[in-house]
Amino acid sequence: MNKLLNIAQAVPRQFVREYAFKSDLKIKWVRPEKIACYKPEKSGDLGKLPPLKPDELLLDFKDCKALENADESVKSQYKLSNNASYLTTQFYRDEMVKEVQRHAQDYGSMEAKLGKMTAIIRRYQVHMDAHPRDKMIKVRLKELIEKRKKFLKYLRRWDYPRFEWILEKLELVYKPPPTHFHWITRKESLQKLTDTYCENLKEERLEAYHKQLQAQQIPFLEEAIKKMQFVRQEQISCDVPVTVTEEQIADSKRQLAQLKELQQAEAAASSQKQNEDSFN
Amino acid sequence: MSRRGLLLMGQCMPCIKQNASKIRIRRMELDKNLNMYFKKDEFYFAHDPQKVCKTGDVVLIKELPDRLTRLITHNVEKVVYPLGDITDPLTGKKVVVGKYREDIEMANQLFGKSEKAFDYDKAPPRGRLEGTKDFTHGETYIKYHEDGKDQPFAV
Repeated sequence: MNKLLNIAQAVPRQFVREYAFKSDLKIKWVRPEKIACYKPEKSGDLGKLPPLKPDELLLDFKDCKALENADESVKSQYKLSNNASYLTTQFYRDEMVKEVQRHAQDYGSMEAKLGKMTAIIRRYQVHMDAHPRDKMIKVRLKELIEKRKKFLKYLRRWDYPRFEWILEKLELVYKPPPTHFHWITRKESLQKLTDTYCENLKEERLEAYHKQLQAQQIPFLEEAIKKMQFVRQEQISCDVPVTVTEEQIADSKRQLAQLKELQQAEAAASSQKQNEDSFN
Repeated sequence: MSRRGLLLMGQCMPCIKQNASKIRIRRMELDKNLNMYFKKDEFYFAHDPQKVCKTGDVVLIKELPDRLTRLITHNVEKVVYPLGDITDPLTGKKVVVGKYREDIEMANQLFGKSEKAFDYDKAPPRGRLEGTKDFTHGETYIKYHEDGKDQPFAV
């Protein structure tokens, strides 16, 4: 038994714990908070519905001539604020469709449909904030959001300029769905985080090494020029065939000048930046 | 290595590589067991420093005589069909699904075109909303970590 223990202690730790390997890296994983499917940040709505004017009349009585000269108490009967909520939704829907429709009779084109859906979605989202337990509206809202996303996908394939225009006009964000679905797990997330950590570390070290080599360039060239000049002079004075030409020396000198210029430019840029930072 | 100069037609996929585009070549493969054809994708990286092809475009790629890097083996020859901007090869007119754009425009004029309606002549080229409203130029993923920073491609 003692023998076995000794062997186990002699073997490095990493060989012992092949299973259930635990990383020593100090990576903290934070599970992203779940956002309800009907929230604007999930559905991609950047814009909001415009505030309702207090004495807006119902859709059907907008241009009613009889109401113009009617009594105030009669008129208030036809105001949006004194009527059912679905009539306000209708009002918003009509407004939004008119923003994007092709012509006055157009209620069936893709833009008009998207405008209509967007108005209803935003109206429902306001409702859901006030009544978070309204399951019926929640289901309807989710279905509408998904349908709108599908329509946006189609429109993108059919007519890209129009797709971009409608995104801008309705203030929507379009993100394509991920390639495959998977649940978020601690293990997989930590694996991904570790991968990115290693990737960053690699890049950092490569960058540092690159800098180190760059710093050696100027002293090396200075040394090389000196040596080349010395060798050339020696060769000439000793009557040995000359292997170092003037061109080679001039070439190295040019390289050196270029490098020094670059260094000066960088130093100037960094000092300027520092000045600006301190000024701010 | 290869002297074939093979031409392939495929669709451009979102790709994070600089000066290269990822092209999907989709073929049908016979499953002998079921005696049915199934889709089979092959991916090639085509050299494209100007990024002429965007996600979804149908492009022609040509095999390079020597591979440029370990990944890049092809060159983008031509964008045949930009996504959502199709030209009918027979008449040379622009098409939206089953209709010519001209016809749609004519119908709009007949009904009295709205002032705010979309106009093809005023539309700028594709790509102005990239990164703000349109995130189709990259691959999205399910958000797995909250790091306090903005993650535009997280869903």
